[in-house]
Amino acid sequence: MDAKIKLLGALIILLLAACSSQPPVPVDTTHQEVDTRVRAPASEDSAGVQVYSLQNPAVKELTAQAQLAENAGKLDQASGYLERALRIEPRDPQLLQHMAEIKLQKADYQQALNFAVRSYDIGPRVGEICSRNWRTISVAREHLNDAAGASDAEARATRCMNTRPKGY
Amino acid sequence: MARKAGKPKSRPRKPGSRKAVRKKPGLLRRSFRLLALLIGLGIGLCVPWVIWLDIQVRDEFEGRIWDIPSRVYARPLSLYSGKPISKESLLLELKASGYREKPTASVPGSYSVNGNNFDINRRAFIFEDGSEPASRFRLQLSGNTIRTLGVVSGSGTPGLVRLDPAEIASIYPLHDEDRTLVALKDVPELLITGLQAVEDRQFKHHHGVSFRSIARAFVANMKAARAVQGGSTLTQQLVKNYFLSNERTLIRKVNEAIMAVLLEWHYDKAQILEAYVNEIFMGQQGKHAIHGFGRASEFYFDRPLQDLDPQQIALLVGMVRGASLYNPRRNPERALQRRDQVLDIFGITGLLTQTEINNAKSHPLGVTTKPRSGGSRYPAFVDLVRRQLRRDYQASDLSSEGLKIFTTLAPSEQEYAQKAVSEGLYDLKQRGLPADLQAALVLADVASGEVRALVGDRVAGRNGFNRALDARRQIGSVIKPLVYLLALEHVDDYNLITPVKDEPISLRQADGKIWSPENYDHKSHGEIPLMDALIHSYNQATVQVGLSVGVANLIRKIKQLGVVVEIPPVPASLLGAVELTPIEVTQMYQSLAAGGYSVPLRSVTAVLTPQGALLSRYPLRFMPLENREAVALLSFALTRVVEEGTAKALHGLLGNDTLIAGKTGTTNERRDSWFVGYTRDRVAVSWVGLDDNRPASVTGGNAAMRVWARLFRKVPIEAVDLRMPDGANFVWVDIRQQALTEPSCPEAVQIPFIEGSEPQRSTKCLEKQAGKNKESLWRKWFGRKD
Repeated sequence: MDAKIKLLGALIILLLAACSSQPPVPVDTTHQEVDTRVRAPASEDSAGVQVYSLQNPAVKELTAQAQLAENAGKLDQASGYLERALRIEPRDPQLLQHMAEIKLQKADYQQALNFAVRSYDIGPRVGEICSRNWRTISVAREHLNDAAGASDAEARATRCMNTRPKGY
Repeated sequence: MARKAGKPKSRPRKPGSRKAVRKKPGLLRRSFRLLALLIGLGIGLCVPWVIWLDIQVRDEFEGRIWDIPSRVYARPLSLYSGKPISKESLLLELKASGYREKPTASVPGSYSVNGNNFDINRRAFIFEDGSEPASRFRLQLSGNTIRTLGVVSGSGTPGLVRLDPAEIASIYPLHDEDRTLVALKDVPELLITGLQAVEDRQFKHHHGVSFRSIARAFVANMKAARAVQGGSTLTQQLVKNYFLSNERTLIRKVNEAIMAVLLEWHYDKAQILEAYVNEIFMGQQGKHAIHGFGRASEFYFDRPLQDLDPQQIALLVGMVRGASLYNPRRNPERALQRRDQVLDIFGITGLLTQTEINNAKSHPLGVTTKPRSGGSRYPAFVDLVRRQLRRDYQASDLSSEGLKIFTTLAPSEQEYAQKAVSEGLYDLKQRGLPADLQAALVLADVASGEVRALVGDRVAGRNGFNRALDARRQIGSVIKPLVYLLALEHVDDYNLITPVKDEPISLRQADGKIWSPENYDHKSHGEIPLMDALIHSYNQATVQVGLSVGVANLIRKIKQLGVVVEIPPVPASLLGAVELTPIEVTQMYQSLAAGGYSVPLRSVTAVLTPQGALLSRYPLRFMPLENREAVALLSFALTRVVEEGTAKALHGLLGNDTLIAGKTGTTNERRDSWFVGYTRDRVAVSWVGLDDNRPASVTGGNAAMRVWARLFRKVPIEAVDLRMPDGANFVWVDIRQQALTEPSCPEAVQIPFIEGSEPQRSTKCLEKQAGKNKESLWRKWFGRKD
């Protein structure tokens, strides 16, 4: 009996929830999506292949602050920290990629794409960062209605682990 | 009648005097009536008068939203270990931010320096991304780099601090009142108490008017037989300042007193005091009236009110009596006397001890010789700021809302740029060039497009024609790299070593005239590699290449690079018969310097309300260009211009052989001299010529490049990064044979190619080696493509 009442109660709550006129949640790229579609698979892909430049301590500090702001959902603040860091190290591929991921979360897909491309251009073009570059490009293209480009980028991400750096 | 006659004692009355006769027994009543009349008149006239004064004073007090000029700030200097900065630059930055050198950096806004060791006491400041409290840190320079940095006290991110930025300009309201608002809680205690001690000791107790003070002033004035003391309360003084009248009439005094009482009736002491410290007239700078202690402190001492020493507070308090009379810049002796007199009053009233007074008196006035520039320290740059803000803000908001405008200017680099122009032009005069040459210089950050310095006149700080933004001049050979960029985008037709013809060419123009461009040395050089035509800036070869890529495409390319101007679609445009401003040329080259990432040049990063709330941010945004591989090849060629071409004197001028990309430009009859150059992180454009466009005997190399080099002798130079993007690689080739080769073969040079545009055949030397070791070569050339 008790269980039945509980179930009924739950049902009523569910029905009420369904009836309530909550505005539809915008289908943006959330923090979680960046984690599941960009960061986690890239980290998995890399499996130990990481080509990171040594970061200046000041840049490291600002990156950490940006990450905290991002985790708290304060994306403008996160961008601000990253921009400060970019003034110190304008050619740091990790900073550029981090900015691209923030832009994704802000649904600024064109800039997300541009930052990821720049990060790739001046980055190591292999390893985890490369994979994050292309996965970001893929997600951004998807939102920019470029399905073919998105799947190309997705495929390109998987090649980050077996492509040797070029251009030296 | 008889009855009347029977009263001879009675005085003859005039007709109609019955009233008087009747009134006589009511003398009291008569007085009462007079009083009633007066009261009636009083009520009829005075009450409306008081009501009118009340409306006025309340309107003034409450409705007065002070028009606060906007403050324009330079970029805050970030300091961290590993930062490249010279001691000279750090000192310039500290000076620009209003820091004072002291034996110990005990108060915010001061620093001490011992050799390469700096101890800096940073002020609290509202930065564009939030406020930071004061903090004290030490840093050590080693060479031109910060070796160590540590925060001593106050909160601060370890290893990273920001200096509060220099205030570089104010944007004034129309009625030209200049003030920096201060909240009462931020006013030093000594100023609040000292002000009352000197001006109004009864402030806490009176109701707007102090009869005791009036009496005391009266006695003092009688004794001295002249007006030595005023009896006005602070409230009365505030009223007087509101209506700014120096009329010394009784009616004004009465009005002032009534209004003071009304103010006290409506508002509390703290509100009145806060209004006072922001309203009191403290001096004049040109057409701007300095109001309030906040601005006065910046105006006379170039530091915030909170940072003042007792003797400086005493001077400001003393100046309340007469800001012109005791103007410390114009009447220093009188001001000093007044300051010391005020310090004595501080002593009498127990605000300072005798030791403190003696110490305070031992200091000079401490005012800066020149006031912080009223309008703008760097007018040419601020001009750019105004233009950027004009898109988003009304002019009236900029001049009245007290906005805080954060810009990208680097004060030390601006100072170097100004010196590079003024000293550079002086040097050119010594070399026999015209004495009235003018110049412009723009320095920007490659990756962010942030403008760091901008000079628009040979005289630093002169506010006039801004050549950097408005001098539209032919750019000459500075356009050529774009012609070659277009060619390199045609992978099937061109690479850096493609042979092109540098030979006489004649073209019929639209007006029927024949155009036959010549080379600078009046020679034709025959068949040469494409790259050499750019390196040596050959006109005839450029026209040949340009015609093959199309003038219309060149115009399109300029637009793609962010420059929107009308350019005539004629062949002469290929050689730079195109008029652009220095800032437009900078924009064009920023994209090239950044490897094909175009960023609109920015001078403003954020705008805040006076309280520090964000109004707008101008974030970094960029757009990748297509064919970035071609841009990378072009950058390589532009480094060769400096290594072996028309700019090869640059290394000598700099005393530095770091890899730099550059291009010189000269126009017909040597009217304009241009030099554009970039390092990995900085791009700068310099122009030299005469305002009336007369021939000036200048060439890119003999004038503008010298000015450019003077600037880059002072700023860090990082080698241009020649790493190729995906789709382009360095390849060993033999240019003469147009063939692939090996480093060990004769004539082998390493040149970047877009994949697929490399020579298809190999040199004999390579073939021989290939026979010996086929496999390793296979791996060498093609192994990269897997």
